[in-house]
Amino acid sequence: MATDTQPSREVGRTLLAGVERIHETLDSYGLVPTVTNGIALLFVVWTLFPVYWMVSGSLRTRSDLLATPPKLVSTALTVENYPELFVQRPAFYEFLFNSVVVTVGSTALAVLLGTAATYGFVNYEFPYNLGRFHLPFLVLTTRFLPPIVTVIPLYVIFDTANLLNTRLGLVLAYAAFNIPFVVWMLKGFFAELPDSIVEAAVLDGHTELGAFFKIVLPMVRPGLIAATIFTVINAWNELLFAVILTSNTEAQTLPVALATFKTAYAIQWELLTVAGTIAMAPVLLFAFLVREKLLRGFTMGAVR
Amino acid sequence: MVRVRYDDVTKRYGNEIGAKNIDITVDDGEFAVLLGPSGCGKTTTLRCLAGLTDPTEGEIRIDGTDITDRHPKNRDIAMVFQELALYPHMGVAANIGYPLKVEGVDKATRRERVEAVTETLDIGELLDRETDELSGGQRQRVAIGRAIIRRPSVFLMDEPLASLDAKLKVEMRNEIKKLQRELGITTLYVTHDQEEAMTLGDKLIVMNDGTVQQVGTPAEVYHDPANQFVAGFIGSPSMNFLRVRREAAGSQRVVAANDATFSFSVERLPTAVGDTEPFVLGVRPQYFSVHQSPIDGAAKAEVTVTEPMGDEQLLTVQFDGDGREIAVRAPFDVGVTRGDTIWLGISGERAYVFDVETGARIRQTELSTDTAVPTGSRP
Repeated sequence: MATDTQPSREVGRTLLAGVERIHETLDSYGLVPTVTNGIALLFVVWTLFPVYWMVSGSLRTRSDLLATPPKLVSTALTVENYPELFVQRPAFYEFLFNSVVVTVGSTALAVLLGTAATYGFVNYEFPYNLGRFHLPFLVLTTRFLPPIVTVIPLYVIFDTANLLNTRLGLVLAYAAFNIPFVVWMLKGFFAELPDSIVEAAVLDGHTELGAFFKIVLPMVRPGLIAATIFTVINAWNELLFAVILTSNTEAQTLPVALATFKTAYAIQWELLTVAGTIAMAPVLLFAFLVREKLLRGFTMGAVR
Repeated sequence: MVRVRYDDVTKRYGNEIGAKNIDITVDDGEFAVLLGPSGCGKTTTLRCLAGLTDPTEGEIRIDGTDITDRHPKNRDIAMVFQELALYPHMGVAANIGYPLKVEGVDKATRRERVEAVTETLDIGELLDRETDELSGGQRQRVAIGRAIIRRPSVFLMDEPLASLDAKLKVEMRNEIKKLQRELGITTLYVTHDQEEAMTLGDKLIVMNDGTVQQVGTPAEVYHDPANQFVAGFIGSPSMNFLRVRREAAGSQRVVAANDATFSFSVERLPTAVGDTEPFVLGVRPQYFSVHQSPIDGAAKAEVTVTEPMGDEQLLTVQFDGDGREIAVRAPFDVGVTRGDTIWLGISGERAYVFDVETGARIRQTELSTDTAVPTGSRP
């Protein structure tokens, strides 16, 4: 038995050995699957209960939703909160539209520039890659700053450039802060490609640019999809920049709209849950549709 | 007719020399093999022709046209890479037909040519497969198919068999040779495997340290090596090199240069070898004669290892009082075991003499230690 050997007697005082002993005891009673499944279940409830509460809340009346003691399961479900939202807040369409435009625009820009940049980083020697302070790392350092630090100077710049309260402004801001993610998600994929693939494509008659689009990009597709989803989620959910850089329905996005449901006087819970559900649905649906490719992207599927 | 000509091509990487003063020609339809240890510049030389590496100096011509600065796709060449570089997101047919697709050849013609090529390579039944469903040998064939479909004027191969197991290697080797003969494509083939080079090439270009050491037919580089490097690199097991001097002025007997621990008779030592200075004697393992009793002109040695190999056996022996081990090939019926004493003689025609300093061959009829590299001729 492991506890009888010399090395484990030494770690006998550590926490790890204690956990191991519990594991052993559970194992001897055949309880390991029960306990691990129990922990997993707890985690699922912990993360999904708020989602359940929001979605079910959107289908309940205000009094039902706020009943004391709280009713976990409602018997009186209704869909009338949904039209009510658009009646009370006709601008919700505009928020939705703004969110879609900003998300699609910034994702397209970030993935395009990020992919090209990554390919360059991986395949070419840059004179300004000084030792360990190489450029891809410096790109990532922009994400080390708390966003609130960058948003103030950004506000001043946007003010001068007439980008405040425009969708274009948000597209640029989101693209800028998503490019580092794209670079770092794709770096591994590009590094895995053998040099000879591009060389073969060049000998087969492509220019390097042609080889990039026709051969390289299809080969890193799982990575592209993962990076795309990631930037979509980031852009769709972003609140801080949107709150500060936009001021009305011209450019305000869904998260900003959601924040306005909570006022100094009241919280419109039943409408907030509807708006929240609508805001959540597209990203969830999107991720669900491409889940297999997403998984392959995150686990760095074998390229060869 | 000369198809490929390297005219004093040099490639430097910063201060490092990749290939230096490469001056070689490959004739139309010839199978030329660039051979040498890793880092010798053979791949650099090949890549200069492919256009994947730009030479620092010199010119490369195909059919008399200077192509040194041309884009790879405009050189009318095709290449098979060591990693094969099949496009994983395409099936077999798409991979093979891809160069034609880029060229803008229509679909029907493409299909026709792909089928013709796969027929030649005996992989017709694989056309609709994905590349990751193929075995090593099949992938090899697909890569070759993709290279020959455009009917290039020069066909380049960079260690294409390196990743195959020994049996498949021999099989593919034969097929490549057969295919090259059938198609008559001028081929440059890079390998570090001297056996592969000997069996494939019409012409071997032996390289070391970025320079060409010798160009010649397989028989020429084997039997008439230009220098000690070529002599040692070609042939397996390698040639034995002994540092010796004449026993006495004008003598046809040689002794170990330092301590005279052994002595041989070597007929017809080149006259260029002086009476006292040491030189290197090169003898291939199979050109020793093995005797089990003392004989005039043979050196006494002790057997340290015996490796039976069927028809013959490989002996590792040590000269009396000398630490150096040499390899000797003997017929299987020479009954010796570890610890036995034997006497080794050398046949004079089979011993090579090299300069101690430069490693240059000192020939029978030459008076000087000429380092000129003989240019190869086609058999």
